[in-house]
Amino acid sequence: MEISVGSNLDRIVILGYFAIVMGFGAYFGKYSKTTSDYFFGGRRFSWWLITISIVATGVGSHSFVKYSTKAYEYGFSSTMTYMNDWFFMPLFLFGWLPIIYYSRIRSIPEYFEKRFNPIARSLATLMILLYMIGYIAIQFLTLATALYRIYQIPLMLTVIIIAIVTTIYMHYGGQTSVIFTDLFQGLVLLFSGIFLFILGLEYLGNHSSVSGIQAFWENLSPVEKLPFAHFNKPPDFNFVGIFWQDGIAGSVGFLFLNQGLIMRFMAAKSVNEGRKAAAINVLCILPIAALVVSNAGWIGKAISNLVPNALPVGMDPNDVFVSVTNLVASPGIFGFIIAALCAALMSTADTLVNASSAIIVNDIYQPFTKNQNDDKGQLKFARISSIAVKILAVMLVPFFNSFDSIYEAHGWFHSTFTPPLVVAVFLGIFWKRFTSPAVIATFIGGAFLMVLGQFIPDLITPLAHGIELRPGRGYSYIGALYNLIVCAGVGVIVSLFTKPEKNEKIQGLTIFDVNNLKKIFKGNDPNNRPGEKVSVKLKLISGDEDRVHFSQKEMFLMSAEVGDLVYISDSRKWLGGLKSIHSTYGETHSEEGVVYLTSTHLEHGHFMAEKLLTAEKEM
Amino acid sequence: MIEFNQSWLPFIYLYGVGGIILIVGIRIILKTNALNLSIPRHKIWLIILFFGFVFYCLLHFIFILLALGSK
Repeated sequence: MEISVGSNLDRIVILGYFAIVMGFGAYFGKYSKTTSDYFFGGRRFSWWLITISIVATGVGSHSFVKYSTKAYEYGFSSTMTYMNDWFFMPLFLFGWLPIIYYSRIRSIPEYFEKRFNPIARSLATLMILLYMIGYIAIQFLTLATALYRIYQIPLMLTVIIIAIVTTIYMHYGGQTSVIFTDLFQGLVLLFSGIFLFILGLEYLGNHSSVSGIQAFWENLSPVEKLPFAHFNKPPDFNFVGIFWQDGIAGSVGFLFLNQGLIMRFMAAKSVNEGRKAAAINVLCILPIAALVVSNAGWIGKAISNLVPNALPVGMDPNDVFVSVTNLVASPGIFGFIIAALCAALMSTADTLVNASSAIIVNDIYQPFTKNQNDDKGQLKFARISSIAVKILAVMLVPFFNSFDSIYEAHGWFHSTFTPPLVVAVFLGIFWKRFTSPAVIATFIGGAFLMVLGQFIPDLITPLAHGIELRPGRGYSYIGALYNLIVCAGVGVIVSLFTKPEKNEKIQGLTIFDVNNLKKIFKGNDPNNRPGEKVSVKLKLISGDEDRVHFSQKEMFLMSAEVGDLVYISDSRKWLGGLKSIHSTYGETHSEEGVVYLTSTHLEHGHFMAEKLLTAEKEM
Repeated sequence: MIEFNQSWLPFIYLYGVGGIILIVGIRIILKTNALNLSIPRHKIWLIILFFGFVFYCLLHFIFILLALGSK
């Protein structure tokens, strides 16, 4: 099918969007002074900022194409993968999140070295980098596939242009730029997805949304309205396979192993803010995101039932997103919705690029450099490596373009790289007995058995839940259950036959020590007495000691003591913590309503002398 | 006629297996004191953890009923 190439107005809208995002990202570059700022945004942001930016990260450009295709073919069951993430929340919110936040781990491979050994770190680094760079390549490919039809520029040149645009806006800004552009882009993609749904309803209802809802409901069959697919058929879209691939392996992979997501949570001002961000994301935003990425398919199905010739005859389901958008949106609006597709790509890619360069700096550069404290050198290397990551991703695009579909490429990627990592990190956190030889066996032996399962599908059959084996193509999603079982089996068996790690070595790295993490983080007993937030004016003092000084009255209100940790932010809440610092309480003074800060605090927090600050005890 | 395999079986499987994972997870965080019920904020979190499960369970339940009741 020939897809509409859009109008000149659409092209201008898309170009305008790119320009706005580049400017937005470049502006926030000034907030990145150190590698901590560059990768973690200085651990200072509020939950709402993290929540929206997570949406933009989770919804990739492939999501719109992939889910609207499934929505067109199968109806509401396309939402399954967005609405099965709650089950692991207890272990994430109260297990993994405090461990990564308080143990000051900068990357997931670093956790593998601390918990196991340097070989485990190297293997994890390799697998996670391959996973992320491949993921970026898929994002580039999806958007380029749509854009090159609109601008009629060759596919690879379109890929390169997209890579350059994302490089410009995040090169200097790092995590802070990523968070703020993702906030903007998350709102754009949520709004445009809902807007597309309303336009579709108006089309169905002949310019009336109310009658459109009725027409929409009446023109979908009862089966298309079910929220789940059939339990075990067809082989390429069934409930039980998708549950194990996405609900189990995917959820753990996304929550526990996605370095980009982990860094986003580490940019939160506290563990509790990270918890709020994660819970609200899964409870409120994911159902909306499911609607946003799927509705073009549902609308397309309802339209094709109501007006059989409205959509092109013999349309490939993969083209339903562009076809429906083209049908229900006027020129300019079409461009805006394609700009949302750009938003989805850029926001996912920027997070993954930032995360990849964090791993390159922390797990490849740092262990081999002589000057461990050269922050400027590391920052420079981080920026160069983010460019290198994009170049590698661009080079991988032709490989992924050789798959039958982006959906298949994405599925292959997930099923190949996720299970050994998922098992390794999960057993590492929740089973003290899991040993270093066992984690290496999980990576190597587990991977071998996974490959064996690909060549001998009969090994998977006992776990297939009755899913039909496709001749010559094997099992798809349910392979994840087999992969998880063999990796876990290898890990458990090897653990039982090898010497357990010493308790001192793994202290603070398993859930069994979560209760002591605050003490390890602070260096002494945390002060958990409830206190109030106080508003203060700042006063500059000389020196560069990382201590801030309040009056006795403010210390009393905050229930704080000298040596406790404090968080100070600009009192304008809408800044979301952009202008803020973490520090330690120093000796008190006699000026009530005033906090003494050094010029380093002032510069790092980007505070303005005339603005009020809010201070609260951290622990 | 919609098959049981497409309506209620996936629902039972999802919230059966998922429910076991959730309960085991809550038990682990309570046993290790990672979720400390003597802290008021943690009590609220425990309620939220159960609420999230019930919320999604009800949402899917209602959608299945609506689909089965539609023409």
